[in-house]
Amino acid sequence: MADIVQLENVRKYFPGVKALDGVSMTIRSGEVHALIGENGAGKSTLVKILTGIHDPTSGTILVDGEPASFRTPHDSQAAGITAIHQEASMFPNLTITENIFMGHHLRNRFGLLDWKTMEARTRELCERLSLAISPDTLVRDLSVAQRHQIEIIKALSIDARVIIMDEPTASLSLKEIQELYELVRTLREQGTAIVFISHKFEEIFEVADTYTVLRDGKYVGNGSVSDVTTDDLVRKMAGAALDRLFPERTPSIGEVALSVQGLTQAGVFEDVSFELRNGEILGFFGLIGAGRSELMQSIFGVRSRDAGSVTVAGERLDPLNPRKSMAQGLAFVPEDRQEQGVILDMSIIENTTLSSLRAVSRFGFPQKHTERSVTEGLAKRFSLRAARLEQRVAALSGGNQQKVVLSKWLATQPRILILDEPTRGIDVATKAAVHSFVGELADQGYAIILVSSELHEVLGMSDRILVMREGRLVAGFDSEDASAERVLATAIGAAAVEQGA
Amino acid sequence: MMRKVIAVGLVLLLSSVMVFAGGGAEAPAEDGTLRIGLLVKSLGNSFFEAARDGAMEAAAELGDVEVIYQGPSTPTAEGQIEIIDSLIAQGVDGIAISANDENALVPAAQRAQRAGIEVISFDSAVAAGGRSVHLAPSDDELIGRSQVQAIAEMIDFEGQIAILSASSTATNQNAWIEWMRVALEEPEYANMELVDVVYGDDLSDQSYREAVGLFNRFPDLRGIISPTTVGVAATARAIQDEGLVGQVELTGLGLPSEMRQYVLDGVSQNVALWNPIDLGYAAIYITYHLLRGNVEAEVGAVIPAGRIGDIRVGEGLVAVLGEPFVFDASNIAEFADIY
Amino acid sequence: MRRNQSPIAAILARREITLLVIIVVLVAAVGIRAPRFLQPARQLSILNDTIILLMLTLGQLAVILTAGIDLSVASNLAFTGMAVAMWNMVMPGVPMVVLVGASILIGASLGAFNGVMVSVGKVPPIIMTLGTMSVYRGMVFLISGGAWVSAHQMSESFRGFARFNILGLPSLVWIGVITTALVYVFLRFTRSGRELYAVGDNATAAGFVGVSARKAQFKAFVLSGAIAGLTGLLWVSRFASAQNDTAIGFELETVAAAVIGGVSIMGGSGTVTGVVLGAVFLGIVKNALTVVGVSPFWQMAIQGAVILVAIVANTVVDRRNQARLSARRISA
Repeated sequence: MADIVQLENVRKYFPGVKALDGVSMTIRSGEVHALIGENGAGKSTLVKILTGIHDPTSGTILVDGEPASFRTPHDSQAAGITAIHQEASMFPNLTITENIFMGHHLRNRFGLLDWKTMEARTRELCERLSLAISPDTLVRDLSVAQRHQIEIIKALSIDARVIIMDEPTASLSLKEIQELYELVRTLREQGTAIVFISHKFEEIFEVADTYTVLRDGKYVGNGSVSDVTTDDLVRKMAGAALDRLFPERTPSIGEVALSVQGLTQAGVFEDVSFELRNGEILGFFGLIGAGRSELMQSIFGVRSRDAGSVTVAGERLDPLNPRKSMAQGLAFVPEDRQEQGVILDMSIIENTTLSSLRAVSRFGFPQKHTERSVTEGLAKRFSLRAARLEQRVAALSGGNQQKVVLSKWLATQPRILILDEPTRGIDVATKAAVHSFVGELADQGYAIILVSSELHEVLGMSDRILVMREGRLVAGFDSEDASAERVLATAIGAAAVEQGA
Repeated sequence: MMRKVIAVGLVLLLSSVMVFAGGGAEAPAEDGTLRIGLLVKSLGNSFFEAARDGAMEAAAELGDVEVIYQGPSTPTAEGQIEIIDSLIAQGVDGIAISANDENALVPAAQRAQRAGIEVISFDSAVAAGGRSVHLAPSDDELIGRSQVQAIAEMIDFEGQIAILSASSTATNQNAWIEWMRVALEEPEYANMELVDVVYGDDLSDQSYREAVGLFNRFPDLRGIISPTTVGVAATARAIQDEGLVGQVELTGLGLPSEMRQYVLDGVSQNVALWNPIDLGYAAIYITYHLLRGNVEAEVGAVIPAGRIGDIRVGEGLVAVLGEPFVFDASNIAEFADIY
Repeated sequence: MRRNQSPIAAILARREITLLVIIVVLVAAVGIRAPRFLQPARQLSILNDTIILLMLTLGQLAVILTAGIDLSVASNLAFTGMAVAMWNMVMPGVPMVVLVGASILIGASLGAFNGVMVSVGKVPPIIMTLGTMSVYRGMVFLISGGAWVSAHQMSESFRGFARFNILGLPSLVWIGVITTALVYVFLRFTRSGRELYAVGDNATAAGFVGVSARKAQFKAFVLSGAIAGLTGLLWVSRFASAQNDTAIGFELETVAAAVIGGVSIMGGSGTVTGVVLGAVFLGIVKNALTVVGVSPFWQMAIQGAVILVAIVANTVVDRRNQARLSARRISA
């Protein structure tokens, strides 16, 4: 295994902030290198230096042992380094071949585009990675996972020796993740170096050979994955052990708060029935695409339903009427913060009170001082970090945006909270804050549904866990008999279906 | 499929409307009386109704003429072609057309000519191959010169004047403006100066703005000629709003209805335009004399036209009625009711 | 919400200041060439000339905020103007108050039709209003039979409605100022106003908190229509002539004024202050060209070029400020 890229004591300072402070790292061919650290630890800055978007303030970069400088993305591509981004940057209306060769088209001897060769080359690359996709498929017809694969092929088509994957599994299903692992292993065998960035430890242990941990822009440690445990890595990352992430509490379960009967939307979720009680945290686990988010949207009334009913305190909720749901004390923190949660161009105050404009208005005029005091109270409660409450939400970090979304919903003074992936993509500290906050709410008697794809979060937080698979509720567990293996097994459909719910 | 059916249905409906609008067949006239079709751009247009009145007046004077007044309900060449064919079928003796399309009407007009019908055009010409004589309301030179003369009389042949036209590409406007420039070379206008030509694009707001711009740039401006209805009305409004009545004189070509208020208020002493009554009147006289064989349709022919006097046929068989008709405080109210 | 104190508001303000600077420079440049241009009476006349554009653009702002566009405003103006002018012609005794109410009502109904089709019928706003632009224009011909309503057919009070003097300013200016104030209050201080921004910025997120995009769109179109109707009366009164092609093509000027004023065509962002400056800028450019005496063959090109320069300058300054802000965010 040859060293391809070596970083030595690389620093990157922005005015007033040390984004990277003396990081060293060696990327070798045929090796999967995990880059670990919580949000803001400096991972993306490191990637930007590797891909020529940022110039390091000091330090050396060696490529094949020779000093190199990546002034532009072009320089680093020439050195064989390519990053595959979280949101694939592709042209949906073009074919796979056209996408792969965009920017470096092959030409024939007449100077015209040589589609025949390009198509053959695409086919060859697909075969090399054992992918069964026709090169003339339009990218818009591909699944997210397939698009990732095409991105990888694209990297290979320009002879990438180092492929950087930033959270490549974020929006993939379990099966697709397995396929991605296969692909990564294939690449490794063929001698490609892979830098693998992930928040999920299971993945790191599954595919990575070596790791580098960053914390607050500083290099914390590296080594071989086989020599460490999850606990070791967590300690390196945050200095916090896993069990400390979840609050201890003694639940006192009360009356039925929400009752769902036979809720169905054809092809999305079928015949779902369950009850949620006051003071209870009900976890919903399942794979991506199991229909959990869609079910929650339908319960709340922002997605239609074909059959079934939702009852709150004896009152049936109308389909597609979120206002009525809100009036009945429901609150819904959606899974996609940027798309469904916040309004980026509006201020923190405006976002917070948008859900309760009626309450803070008099004769249709929102009262500024009421809005401000409501927002101030909630911001304090969540220890929101913002320069001022008039700040645009777009200027906040992901974790703080999520706090604004939570504030917005608490402003409606709900009794039932539906939290759909409330900690996705936010840093460890905020995550812990959210967890302890959710625990407090349940202790105060709120009824809470927690939808999460993070198994440990569901296990650590919930009083009861319902598992969905392919649109149906397939199992229910009380927290004491729920184990990671059993819950995961039912979600995948690997084990016999257990009764419950 | 459904859309096609609807489309076909609509086309049928429209064409039938046009056929019926063309009118049914009428009984042939008794011996000696000439039947002349007066085919206008569209029905329900008071300009052409005034032309019809003129035609009726001529018919009454001549005695042995019957006028058949027809036109499509919308101003289209297709509608006029239908009517020409129906007039041929009725066996009329002559047709006087104000054409919606100079060239599109030629084949139908030629069919009429082959059927022995005398075809002339008036107001808006049919191309030379489809008619004998065309009666133009006026010509570029007469318009240009008469407008200059009108403003000159208002400002006592002395001071700065400007022209506010429609769009800078309008052919007729530009031809008139050229003749105005030529006229201004004459010695009697030596003390007058044309300071600028501006364009209001036949939009009220733009014309108004341009007029105000003229007042600003030329504080000594004495008069404005605006040979377009929208322009002359907007300029009148601007003069009024800026309190320049009497200081800046105004004339132009404009519909009497649109200008009535301003002429009566004294913003403009007079404006001019074609007189539709005279047009209809002369069209019937010309057709009548051609049919009777009193004159030949040839350059230089002189056709007597009742109270209007003799009309001379010029180049391209175009006969010119005369100078634009002048509307002043004494007669504009009467014409404002017509058009 | 004291916008002026937040850094974002500072940028918005600065963006508007850029435009203000451009306007001052433009006026000064024209003033050097034609000193009369700087006289208060001239400035007042330009203001008077800009009011209708400003009012229509305020309606346009409401619709654009919801990520829509209203191309039917000029046709709505023409139709409503023709309708009230004809009413005045037939019944000159009807008081102006009634005609003002009628014009707002007629305009609002035409706007409501757009609104219903867009919000309930899910027709994209650009398609819908492109259609009604022609339909409403056609309706002008239908009711008028192709004829105009001329000055002498209007009552004295109708003709004078837009220009009678109150405290030294023409009534048209007062109506414009009042409309601007009302729209400002609506957008900044009412619930419905805030919902327009929310819906235009992120309709999904707004829907998730029960803020209906449809209702917001409908309201915006009704507002735009009502303003267009009122301007119809004002236009016809100002020029004392109701024509079939009144204000033809004017809808694009409202879009231009909005864009110059920094309104995001993607929705969710834009202020009344920006629109005022955008409309004033356009008004000054149009009037300046007539005063400076530019060849008519150059006018259109110059007008377009000046508008482009304003937009580009505005955008460049805006982007610089954004960059400065994000630098500050990193350092914070």
